[in-house]
Amino acid sequence: MLLTGLVLGAALGFVLQRGRFCVTGAFRDVFVARKTTWLTAFVLVIAVQAVGVAALEGLGVISPASDPLPLGAVVVGSLIFGYSIVLAAGCATGTVYRSGEGLVGSWIALIFYGASAGAMKYGVFADLTTWARSQTVSLTTIHETLGISSWFLVAGLLAATLYAVHRHLSVPRRPVATLPPRRTGVAHVLLEKRWHPFATALVISVIAIAAWPLSTATGREAGLGITTPAADIATYVVTADTELIDWAVFLLVGIVLGSFIAAKASGEFRIRVPDATTVLRSIAGGIGMGVGAALAGGCTIGAAMVATAQFSWEGWLAFGFMLLGTGLAAKVYIINPSRAAAGDRAPALTNA
Amino acid sequence: MSTHVLKTDGQVCPFPLVEAKATIAAIPIGDELVIDFDCTQATEAIPQWAADNGYPVTNFDRRGDASWTITVQKA
Repeated sequence: MLLTGLVLGAALGFVLQRGRFCVTGAFRDVFVARKTTWLTAFVLVIAVQAVGVAALEGLGVISPASDPLPLGAVVVGSLIFGYSIVLAAGCATGTVYRSGEGLVGSWIALIFYGASAGAMKYGVFADLTTWARSQTVSLTTIHETLGISSWFLVAGLLAATLYAVHRHLSVPRRPVATLPPRRTGVAHVLLEKRWHPFATALVISVIAIAAWPLSTATGREAGLGITTPAADIATYVVTADTELIDWAVFLLVGIVLGSFIAAKASGEFRIRVPDATTVLRSIAGGIGMGVGAALAGGCTIGAAMVATAQFSWEGWLAFGFMLLGTGLAAKVYIINPSRAAAGDRAPALTNA
Repeated sequence: MSTHVLKTDGQVCPFPLVEAKATIAAIPIGDELVIDFDCTQATEAIPQWAADNGYPVTNFDRRGDASWTITVQKA
């Protein structure tokens, strides 16, 4: 049954790579390019997944628990996480699937992410994490606070999202240049064609919904997640504790495999070694992601994309503060980088 | 009309696009900018940016595994 995690992960890795689904980019675009296409795609995943989660709960297939909100830990952790994903040039899933594309900077970020999440969850900082996450306020889910059925929230979110999708699709679009095709038919669609962000989002929603019953069948009652399995793998490597190997670990390994297969098959795999600046940023970003996600109770996937679909306060607060953290980092590193930092990134412009 | 070349190999997103924006702002209208890049996400981000700004793309091709070149005209 654990193997379903590997298969689902591989499918997810394939879709993330081919669809260029990058949550960091989605959040960053809001501040850097003032564009919300990818953010809308991200919310579309939440909305469609919310329908699936509510249906599965209604059918009694899953009954995920919602814990009281650790307000301070979520706010601080999410800000750190949002800031760090800009440094690491990819959030949790982004870093994982870019590792499959051969980006050594992402390997470094991923290793430090797993190690620092492991330290925060099981290692020297476990007490700190436990203390921070035990400072709670008595809020669990939004529908419980409002005293209504979650279906009202599902319907509201879905309606708002579909309106946003409709608005994006009704803007007249100029044709976008594409690479000369080398394949035809299914191979062209799967391995070459540019996937529309909303189409990619719909496929990811289906995978995110499928994760719930598949994971629950193995005794792990949760949806997609990246931080805990990353911490589990890192901790397993140094402790050989097989208790840590669960469905989500297979999911994570599957994502790397799937994105590698997608990148290799589409001619987009190459080992790419970063410069010193990128290495330092990847290390700092990886550590910050582990610390932030452990405090926040998840990464952009576990908290901002999955817990939101359950309408937990924790998920939506994490989403908001991760977005804010990304905006802060985008301002520092991309919009207004200091002259010193811009120096080694000056465009190498030559006349041809 | 002249052609300018911007090499961004080794840079991760969004920097190839950030530099492309800065460079195109500095060249005269009608000139072409060749952008070489190896960040996969830029295969989506750069053509999309060119389309949004009404810049014609006169060439977009692979240079090898995970490396691309795109030529954008400032219009």
